[in-house]
Amino acid sequence: MADAEMTDTPDVFNVRDLNVYYGDLRAVSDVNLDVRERQITAFIGPSGCGKSTVLRCFNRMNDLIDIARIEGSVKYHGIDLYDSQVDPVAVRRRIGMVFQKPNPFPKSIYDNVAFGPKVAGQKGNLDEVVEDSLRSAGLWEEVKDRLSSSALGMSGGQQQRLCIARAIAVNPDVLLMDEPCSSLDPIATGRIEELMKEIQNKYTIVIVTHNMQQAARVSDRTAFFTAELDESTGQRRGKLVELDETGTIFSNPSDERTEAYITGRFG
Amino acid sequence: MAASSPVDLDQLRARRGADVRGQIFLILLLLSVALAIAMVGAVFYDVIVQAWGILSDRLWDFLASPSSSDPEKAGVAQGIRGSLLIALIVMATFPIGVAGAVYLEEYAEDTWVTRLIQVTVRNLAGVPSIVYGLLGLAVFVQGLRGITGGSSVIAAGITLAVLVLPVVVITSSEAVRAVPGSLRDGAYGLGATQWEVIRSQVIPAALPGILTGTVLAVARAMGEAAPLLVIGAAGFYTTGNNDFLEQFQGAFTALPMNIANFAREPAQTWRGHAAGASVVLLVMVFFLNLVAIIARARISKKLGR
Amino acid sequence: MIAPDVAPAPVVTVPALSSRASAGLLEPVAFLVVAMGIALVEYFVAGLFADFGPSNFWLAFVVMAGWNAWHFAGAQTALGSLTGHYIATTDGQPASVLTIAVRQLARFGVLYALPIMVLDFNFLTALLVWLVVGAVVSRMPGSRAPWDLLANTIVVDGLGKRATTVELPPLHSAADLRLAPARARENRRAARLMLTAGSASVVVSVLIVWSIFTEAWAFVSDSEFEWGILSQRGWFPRSGQFDLSTLFVGTLWVTGIAMLVAGPVGLGVAFYLSEYATPKVRRIVKPLIETLASIPSVVIGLFAISFISPKVLTLFISDIGIFSILAAGIGVGVLTVPIVASISEDAMRAVPMELREASYGLGGRKVTTALRVVFPAALSGISAAAIVGVSRAVGETMVVFIAAGGNGVFNTDPVEQGQTITAAMASLGAGTDQIAGSGIAFQSLYFLGALLFVMTMLLNILSDLIVRRFRQVY
Repeated sequence: MADAEMTDTPDVFNVRDLNVYYGDLRAVSDVNLDVRERQITAFIGPSGCGKSTVLRCFNRMNDLIDIARIEGSVKYHGIDLYDSQVDPVAVRRRIGMVFQKPNPFPKSIYDNVAFGPKVAGQKGNLDEVVEDSLRSAGLWEEVKDRLSSSALGMSGGQQQRLCIARAIAVNPDVLLMDEPCSSLDPIATGRIEELMKEIQNKYTIVIVTHNMQQAARVSDRTAFFTAELDESTGQRRGKLVELDETGTIFSNPSDERTEAYITGRFG
Repeated sequence: MAASSPVDLDQLRARRGADVRGQIFLILLLLSVALAIAMVGAVFYDVIVQAWGILSDRLWDFLASPSSSDPEKAGVAQGIRGSLLIALIVMATFPIGVAGAVYLEEYAEDTWVTRLIQVTVRNLAGVPSIVYGLLGLAVFVQGLRGITGGSSVIAAGITLAVLVLPVVVITSSEAVRAVPGSLRDGAYGLGATQWEVIRSQVIPAALPGILTGTVLAVARAMGEAAPLLVIGAAGFYTTGNNDFLEQFQGAFTALPMNIANFAREPAQTWRGHAAGASVVLLVMVFFLNLVAIIARARISKKLGR
Repeated sequence: MIAPDVAPAPVVTVPALSSRASAGLLEPVAFLVVAMGIALVEYFVAGLFADFGPSNFWLAFVVMAGWNAWHFAGAQTALGSLTGHYIATTDGQPASVLTIAVRQLARFGVLYALPIMVLDFNFLTALLVWLVVGAVVSRMPGSRAPWDLLANTIVVDGLGKRATTVELPPLHSAADLRLAPARARENRRAARLMLTAGSASVVVSVLIVWSIFTEAWAFVSDSEFEWGILSQRGWFPRSGQFDLSTLFVGTLWVTGIAMLVAGPVGLGVAFYLSEYATPKVRRIVKPLIETLASIPSVVIGLFAISFISPKVLTLFISDIGIFSILAAGIGVGVLTVPIVASISEDAMRAVPMELREASYGLGGRKVTTALRVVFPAALSGISAAAIVGVSRAVGETMVVFIAAGGNGVFNTDPVEQGQTITAAMASLGAGTDQIAGSGIAFQSLYFLGALLFVMTMLLNILSDLIVRRFRQVY
């Protein structure tokens, strides 16, 4: 079956006709987009237009919500992510996620980073894995002397970098980032943006951000979402307006709604 | 702005002084607080004063002697041992309560079955302890006589464990519920199964609350006398050292029973014994409360809260 | 790779005593099984099933300790660790066979020899020794388990094999995105276990209801029973008199007096703690009130006859006896104060600050705000507190059993002795009424139990309903 085999494109994700429902409410409608390998793709748009919802479809985090369901297809390297054989836990091993508010475990820094590999069944001494991940996240120098101290004792920016380190530790294919800098100060934000560019050649990154300038700074391609009012039900629904090279989106967008957003006329 | 009458400081001052109702109310409140504290004080004062004689005269003897019809020789050793054994049996059943709480909070979907279980647990927590004694009598003493040996420590322990189970479920549920969802999200996001998330993140994070709840439940179980009465705890019995099985299956007594029996003796000579046994029980119960508080504080600190 | 200047200290997991001492459930179960097996062998071979006791355990200990030492030593050196943990020397090198064997023997000794000695010697002494040893050991440097200290080993997460990267299995089709069967099985098993535990409470409920109501039915359907005996004045089970009104009057009086005490005091404490007390005062007063809640009811019963009756009541009523409904009622009231106080206080503190601020902003004073704003807003919670208090008072047994006298005579004077439903049950159960065994008198115990169960259940449902229906939505 073609769907179950891996295909040979530089695309990591192919989304076709994606609709996401929470119970009877349609939160996202008819999204079609592609995410390319080893690139940073940004989702921008006003709040409430489904960017995070779509992001969470990529690693099946929406499964954790009882009433959520999807229609349409999300393909990962050509494989249907919602195929009946696919287990969400295996998906999340390859497609990691960093959340809006840093959420380190109330354990030591070492145990935070080692958690993913341990759970994935990695045996043996994990010291080098932990060190490599912390180096990649730019944290090693700051924490190497206190690996066994609690992760909660770090600053917000450090905690978020720890969350990135622990997501990297399992050697994922894709890194999803849901507004990772929105609770951080500008300096910490800058460090994380630097980090993203450093690790870009190892992972495919999809980032949801409220901050247009951030998207312009880091991403290769940008997708602009908006919310439409459904006349019949009075509910707002998220839609993808356009997806293009970042440069094009910000200088010469095709859709007038995109232009209105980036020039600040609404949002 | 519309013109208003100039502010009259004297008027404001006068109003404040006239808050008689407020003063009376505050006095009433303070009176009730004082009364409540006086109650606590009176209980402790009375118990300690009454127990002073016997405890200062023969403390170790009192603690180590079995019961006897001679007031000079009677002690609470068997009661202490029974209470400790009961505490052990009760503690052994806590995993069931914690597992039940984990099920209700993490696994169960919002169906009528789940809600039925939750309502049932809440109602069970409010059932009087003597009714649990009836359950113990019918099921554990008479029904399962082969295993429990009839009126025994095992029967008493299981009955009290059942009594305390709803409390354990409720406090553990609260503790699990208090674990923030972001913790679970983080663990799921790293590719952990539901059980792995619960085992490695949720339960450790809920541990302070769970421990506090279970220790307090043990304290509660140790203080119960009514179910023991119904199950047929002996008032007094004399046996020597028993071997392994007999310890658990034979006649038994516990501290609350000792207190009740001493208290109901018509002769005033036994008042001191009742008070002495009360002191021992109070020490054990408050020691457990202290352990709960300390354990919670230390683990909370380790979790960074 | 950047060569480090100083050899990094090995990051090893040094387990504390508690985590290693509770080494899974399988081992103690296996131990018990081996011990019982040895007893059986003794019986069949030598006809010596005299006692299942310490001698069996010592033999089982020898067997299992030896097997344990041999198995672990052999397993680690030959096959690698079974549990993901390795036994190493303190500088991170793999431990030798002999060292592992010594460690395992020491571990087995501490974990199992001590309990065996407990059963042999005096229980209390053994418990004390165990507590002291545990306290000392857990203070030792690095908190290593005693057997690790003895053999000079530590437990590490991985030995020799250092993982450099985490491998990602190849991805060809949807089948590659399946979960490893072992993990899936563990997940399912855990879910099933939790479900079983969750249904335990329902099972208990069913058991209670079944056991009580079948026996209660036996009471009502017994040949000696006729409805008339439920209303002849006086509760004397021995003589076949089962007057419910005697017990109801007693219960009502005790509950009423208790709520007269607990209601105002509890509410007053709640108001004070919620509206007036500073955080410093709260830190002192609240634990004091909660102390009251932890006092076992037998102690309050003793308090009732040794303090309330002789020292308080005789001040007001000179000819009152030691046992009276009044003394019992006040005792139950003392018990109920913390319940009323804490539930009411929670309800009051749940009223949002904005409501109070609105009242202050309009010129209201503290007392006005407390009575006109907070009280009505918290009313559903306060009513729930009252009902829970009543339910507790109705179900209280020991205080009444000790302090109310319980002579079974129909009586409406609180100064006299009386009997409540609960105390009557206690008398029946304890055999005070000398009718242990079956027979209509004993079955009346279950009849009362059924009555009590229904009453308290209705009260609890009522308080739940009130909280849910009338809770003010802020």
